Amino acid sequence: MTRAPSILGWLEDKSDWLSPLVVKEVRQLVRGREFMVSFGASLAAGLAVAFFGAVDALGGSSSSGNWTFASLMACLAFLGLAVVPLGAFSALRTERMEQTLELITLTSLSSRRIVVGKLLAQAVKLGTLFAAMAPFVTMSFLLGGVDFVTILIALVVLFMLSVWAGALCLLLSTAFKSRAMSFLVFGAVGVLGLFGASMGRMLFFAARGGALGPVVFGVGIGSTTTLWWVLAIVTTFWLISLINLVLLAENRMSLSTEDSVTPLRIGFLVQFLVICGYTMAYVFDPPLAKSRAAEALLVLGSGHLAIVAVFVVSEDLAVPRRVLFRIRSASPWRWLMAMFGPGGGRGAAYVLVQMVLLFGAVTLLQLTPADRRMLLAVFGYVLFFTGIPALAFRRLMPARATPLRIRAAVLVTLAVAMLVPDILYYIVQRPETLDLDFAMRHLFSPIRTIDSWDFVERANWVGIPFAIGLTGLLAYVALIRRGVQATGKAVLIDRAAPVAGETGRGGVVY
Amino acid sequence: MSDAMLQLDGLVRHFGSVPAVDNVSFSVDRGQVLGFIGPNGAGKTTTMRILATLDTPQGGDARIGGYSVVDDPEKVRRLVGFMPDYSGVYANTTVEEYLDFFARAHDLRGEARRKAVAHIIDFMSIGDLRDRQVEGLSKGLKQRVALGRAIVHDPEVLILDEPAANLDPRARIEFRTLIRELASDGKTILLSSHILTELSEMCDTVTVIEKGKILATGTVEDILEGMRKRRLLSVRVAGPIAGLERFLLEQPGVRGVHEVGERVEFELDGGDDEQVQLVSRLIAGGFPVLEFSAHSAGLEDLFIEITEGRVQ
Repeated sequence: MTRAPSILGWLEDKSDWLSPLVVKEVRQLVRGREFMVSFGASLAAGLAVAFFGAVDALGGSSSSGNWTFASLMACLAFLGLAVVPLGAFSALRTERMEQTLELITLTSLSSRRIVVGKLLAQAVKLGTLFAAMAPFVTMSFLLGGVDFVTILIALVVLFMLSVWAGALCLLLSTAFKSRAMSFLVFGAVGVLGLFGASMGRMLFFAARGGALGPVVFGVGIGSTTTLWWVLAIVTTFWLISLINLVLLAENRMSLSTEDSVTPLRIGFLVQFLVICGYTMAYVFDPPLAKSRAAEALLVLGSGHLAIVAVFVVSEDLAVPRRVLFRIRSASPWRWLMAMFGPGGGRGAAYVLVQMVLLFGAVTLLQLTPADRRMLLAVFGYVLFFTGIPALAFRRLMPARATPLRIRAAVLVTLAVAMLVPDILYYIVQRPETLDLDFAMRHLFSPIRTIDSWDFVERANWVGIPFAIGLTGLLAYVALIRRGVQATGKAVLIDRAAPVAGETGRGGVVY
Repeated sequence: MSDAMLQLDGLVRHFGSVPAVDNVSFSVDRGQVLGFIGPNGAGKTTTMRILATLDTPQGGDARIGGYSVVDDPEKVRRLVGFMPDYSGVYANTTVEEYLDFFARAHDLRGEARRKAVAHIIDFMSIGDLRDRQVEGLSKGLKQRVALGRAIVHDPEVLILDEPAANLDPRARIEFRTLIRELASDGKTILLSSHILTELSEMCDTVTVIEKGKILATGTVEDILEGMRKRRLLSVRVAGPIAGLERFLLEQPGVRGVHEVGERVEFELDGGDDEQVQLVSRLIAGGFPVLEFSAHSAGLEDLFIEITEGRVQ
C-alpha cells in the first residue's frame, strides 16, 4: 500500500526530464474522451481480429496469421495515420484558438521546444495505442503465415510514418490562421497521404520481394542487403525530413525578431547532402549503376533545389535588428554562416552554393556531356523562374514585395511561360492542325524543354536555355547585392531605431 | 538617480496605416504600481503585448530590468509575468496541474517547482480548488488562477491587462487585495483597467493613453490636483432660472454652463476665493440662491476630461 505513493513520487521527480508539454498532454490525454474512445476501440478491434484468427486457425488454416496481421496493421494504420495526426493537428490549433499558445510562448519554452513537446506527446499517445495492439500482433505471429522480421519492420515503419504524419499535421496547424483553410489543406494532405501510404506499402513489399533493387538501384537484386539499404535510406530521410518539419513549424511560430531561418537552412542543406551522399555511394560501382545513381541525383537534387529556391529567394531582404547584430558579431566562421542567415540575398547565395555542390557531385558520377548540359539548363530555369519574379517585385513594387506574393508570382511566371508561347503561336500563325510537338517556342517552358532535351541537343538550341539561365544568374547576383545593401543600411542605424521594412510579426520566411 | 524597472522609449506599432502605439514613452520605477488608462482601442493592450514580448515594435524600444524587449526577449520573459485579458485555461486539467505545467515551462525543477506551486496555491488562497478542473471555475476564480500562473516563476514585473474586468464586486475586492500584497512584496506592476476608481486605490501613478499617444502621466493626486483648479459647481435658485445661465457665462472663469433639471451646472477656473466671489455676485445680481454645491473631480472625470477630443 505504501509503495504506490513512493513510485508516484519517483515518477514525479523523473518527469522533470520530460518536456513540460509531454507531461501536460499526457495528463490531459488520460482524461480525454478522444483517447479513451480510440484506446477502447483499438482493444475491441484487436480482440475481434484475434478471435476470428484463432477460430480460423482451429479450423486448420495455416495462413490465418497472415490476414490477422494485415487486419491489425490496417487498424494500427488508421490510428497512426488518421487519429493521431488529427490529434496533432488539433493540439496546436486548439492552443492557438484558446490563446494558451501565447501563454506558453511567454515561458522559457522556445518555439522549437513547444513543437518538439507536442510531437513527443503524440508519439507517447501513438506508443500507447501500439502497445495496446501488441499482444494481438504477437498472436498473429503465433498463428503462422507471417515471419517475425516482417512484423517488426512493418511496425517500426508504420510508427515512423505515423510520427512523420503527426509532424506534418503540426506544421499544417501552424501554417494557416483560418480554421476553414487549415481544414481544407489538412483534407488535401490526407488524400495525398492515402496515396503516399499505398505507394509506400508497394515499395516496401517490392523491397521485401527484391523488385525494388533493380528499379532504383540496379544492384544487390532481391538480397537482404538491399532491404537493409532501403531501410537505412528510409530511416535517414525520415529523420532528416522530420527534423525539417519541426524546424518549419518552429519558423511559422517564431516572432520576426527570432532567427528561425538559420537552423532551417542548415536542416535543408543536410537533407540535400544526404541525397548526394546516398547516391555518391555508387561512385565506385560499375558504370551502369553509376549512371543510374547520377540520374537519380540529378532528378532528386534539382527537385530539392527548385523547391528550396522558391522559398529562400522570396524571403524579405531586411533582416531583424537582433539577428543582424548576431550575424555581424565577430566570428571566424562568419563568412560561412552568412549563407545560412535569413534574408533573400543570403538565400540566393545559399541556392548558388548548393548548385555548385550538386554539379560537382554529379560530375563525379557517370554523366554524359549532354546530361551535364541538361543539368546546367535545369539550374538556369530554377534561377530564372525564381530570381526574375523576386527581383522584379523588389525593383518595381518594393512596398508590396511580401514572400507570399513573390511565391505566387513565381508560379504565375511558370504558368505563363508554359502556356503563353502556345497561345501566341495559335493566334499569330493560325495553324490548321493542332501541333503538340516540341518546338522552339517551348524553350521557355522548363518542363517541356527538359523532357525533350535530346531534341534540344540535336536542334542546337542549347544556347537559348543557357541564355535564360544566365539572365536568372544575373538576377540572383542582383538579389545578393540588394541583400548586402539592405544589411549595410540596417547596421548603420542606431540600435534603438527600427530596421526598414521590419514588421511586427511574420516569420513567413518559409 | 532613476531606478526605472520598466522603460519605454519612443515605442511605435502600426497595424496597416493605423497607429496603435505612436511614440509612447514612460517609465515605472521598481516597486511602483502604474495604472494604464485609456478607452477601447487606445493602444493599451498593444503596448502591454510588446512589453510581454508577444509583439514587436516597429520603432523605439522598451527595457525591462535593463533588457530590451527586441534584443533580449528571452531574458525579459524571465522577469515578466503577463496576465492577458483572457483566462487561457486548459480542458481536463486541475488547478494544481495547470500551475505545475507553467512552473515546469518556466524551467522550475523538482523541489523548487513543488514549492513554487504550493506557495502560489497558498498565496492565492485556492487550496480548496487544487483538484478542481480549471475549466469549470467561475470567472473570478479563473482570474485568480490566471494571476497565480503569471507569478508562479516569481517575476519582478507584472503586466496585467484588464485584470478586474468581468469580476463581481466581491471578487474585485479580493483581487485588489492580492495586487496590494504583490506591490508590497516589491513587484513592479503595470495594470490597465476601465474601472478607474479602482486604479486610484491601487496605483501610485497613472498614465493616460488615447489613439496610441500618451496624454498625461503622473501620480493620481497630482493629476486630480490639477483638475481641482477647475471646479465643477452646481447652483439652484428660488424661482425661475431664466437669465441665470447668461449671467453665469458673463462671469470671469466660468464655462460649460448647462441646465440639469432645476439646477444649473458649470465649471469655474480657480480656487476658494473665486468661488466666494461668484456666490457674492450671484446674490448681488438678484438670484436667490437656495443651493450651491461643488464636487471634487474623480478619476472618471479625469479620464473623460483628458481623453475628450484632445488628440485629433
